[in-house]
Amino acid sequence: MAPSSSSGLTFKLHPLVIVNISDHYTRVKTQLNPPPGSVCSTENKASSNNNNNGEAMNPRVYGCVIGVQRGRTVEIFNSFELLFDPSTETLDRSFLEKKQELYKKVFPDFYILGWYSTGSDAEESDMLIHKALMDINESPVYVLLNPAINHAQKDLPVTIYESELHVIDGIPQLIFAHTSYTIETVEAERISVDHVAHLKPSDGGSAATQLAAQLTGIHSAIKMLNSRIRVLHQYLAAMQKGDIPCENSLLRQVSSLLRRLPAMESERFQDNFLMEYNDKLLVTYLAMITNCTSTMNEMVDKFNTAYDRNTRRGGRTAFM
Amino acid sequence: MDDSSTIARKTWELENNILTVDQPDSSSSDGIFYYDEASQTKVQQEKPWTSDPNYFKRVQISALALLKMVVHARSGGTIEIMGLMQGKTDGDTIIVMDAFALPVEGTETRVNAQADAYEYMVEYSQTNKLAGRLENVVGWYHSHPGYGCWLSGIDVSTQMLNQQYQEPFLAVVIDPTRTVSAGKVEIGAFRTYPEGHKISDDHVSEYQTIPLNKIEDFGVHCKQYYSLDITYFKSSLDSHLLDLLWNKYWVNTLSSSPLLGNGDYVAGQISDLAEKLEQAESQLAHSRFGGIPASLHRKKEDEPPLAKITRDSAKITVEQVHGLMSQVIKDILFNSARQSEKTPSDPSEPEPMITS
Repeated sequence: MAPSSSSGLTFKLHPLVIVNISDHYTRVKTQLNPPPGSVCSTENKASSNNNNNGEAMNPRVYGCVIGVQRGRTVEIFNSFELLFDPSTETLDRSFLEKKQELYKKVFPDFYILGWYSTGSDAEESDMLIHKALMDINESPVYVLLNPAINHAQKDLPVTIYESELHVIDGIPQLIFAHTSYTIETVEAERISVDHVAHLKPSDGGSAATQLAAQLTGIHSAIKMLNSRIRVLHQYLAAMQKGDIPCENSLLRQVSSLLRRLPAMESERFQDNFLMEYNDKLLVTYLAMITNCTSTMNEMVDKFNTAYDRNTRRGGRTAFM
Repeated sequence: MDDSSTIARKTWELENNILTVDQPDSSSSDGIFYYDEASQTKVQQEKPWTSDPNYFKRVQISALALLKMVVHARSGGTIEIMGLMQGKTDGDTIIVMDAFALPVEGTETRVNAQADAYEYMVEYSQTNKLAGRLENVVGWYHSHPGYGCWLSGIDVSTQMLNQQYQEPFLAVVIDPTRTVSAGKVEIGAFRTYPEGHKISDDHVSEYQTIPLNKIEDFGVHCKQYYSLDITYFKSSLDSHLLDLLWNKYWVNTLSSSPLLGNGDYVAGQISDLAEKLEQAESQLAHSRFGGIPASLHRKKEDEPPLAKITRDSAKITVEQVHGLMSQVIKDILFNSARQSEKTPSDPSEPEPMITS
């Protein structure tokens, strides 16, 4: 296992990158293993991997991650596929440059931050690829996705590595150091991930189903929060009983978390919150008025129709 | 995840025909991701769509393509963006596997692919083919920020042209602003009818809100195309990852608020409604003066404008109330900690998460 990184950079990873790598892997794998029944006519020119059996079941895919670095925060927004060049054992350079140029046109703000691949752990040979990227980005990152499906695992099988210069046996060497990251989304991204992950209705649906979807979303989030708190609680209880050795740094973290509540307690927040609340009530009220007006209008129309027919027949008496 | 959400999810899967391609144990793993060039070429040559203008009825979009398109659309802000989709066909279904952005920015309802965009497209698909993305371009997508998913006049002519020369071709429209406001992806897939094609009058497209300044453009062209049913699919690895993603992700659900950041849009919607109301009022006044028969005629053709306005206002209100509800829930959760001590976490600070 690689040591933890000490660079102090904060990494933010967008779900799009994860889905992109996953798709790239699935695609290459399926192409190498055509489903039974289909005409196997395509040559596997697509994949630069050798076509022996082990590779076919578990191909490695390579690509580039792009995004923005602001200060000490690195945000990985997107990624694109690259080719592996077996002759030099690195990534196909001209291909990379071409792709980079293409992506630059659409996303001018994004820079190459590093590369991605699939596998269970960083390998020795990965350092070659890593070093080759260093003229583009001084300290590239390496995003590794483990494509093996392991249902027991609760964590994302994604690791981000940085390279660090260490002196080992008197020789300075670059080694991979894994670093922590958080998942970051923009609002639209979150909604579409929810959409595909939790399978919300694709069309509007009635107000009731929308409400149910909204509340289910919040409910499961709160459930998650609850379970996390339970973990903390159990941990603290065990510590109190003396089952686990007391660890002050963790206790401090827990205490600082607790200290933060209530999250907002200023006059101004209350004012603003109430204002927002009232605004929404007002919007509801407006909608109700509109609804009423419309119903009234319909009623008047109907009344007129009835009235009209009666006058033509010459009888007003039916109404009065 | 928990039981209730599993059940809810199963229900959705049944209701929405969501296909999880391949259960992990089945032998034909992720078959939909396999590109069979021979059968695709065969379909290309047979061109079954030439005989029936309604040939394609369904669209399947991969999780990746959807995510890419929505993120791209949102990154454009109020500017229209466009891109192309790659995929294949399967019977009456167009399958969208992937999407990529084009370096074109449109304004208003004008999205035009220019010469350099074509060049870009060719280069991109060539490099993509090398990287194992074998599918051809099957359509284009663009965004309508804030005014709904439909085809404008220019979109219709673009699409018509493409359907003549580039079949099979699909047009997808995404509204990123409404996506954020409504909390669900606003997307539409369309194909145009060939010129001169007559469609029956009972063809009713799903009702949607269209701002006053676009309503003319919508009304003139809305009979020239039809929309296709959209379903989504994901690979087994995708769904596994998405499930795991949720473990890190719930914080975002809690911390986000649809009310913030969309205020302008809502205000715009309300003022648009006010304008529509005024218009409806003057129409009503006219019909009153012109006698009752006029209003009767109008009623037969179309539902009264007031009813439409009511629907729009109800929609805005529902969205707003949803936003408010989540705010209130959060307020209770995190600000009333005096009484109970069971809520020691903050949604806005995702860092100190304990993963056991």
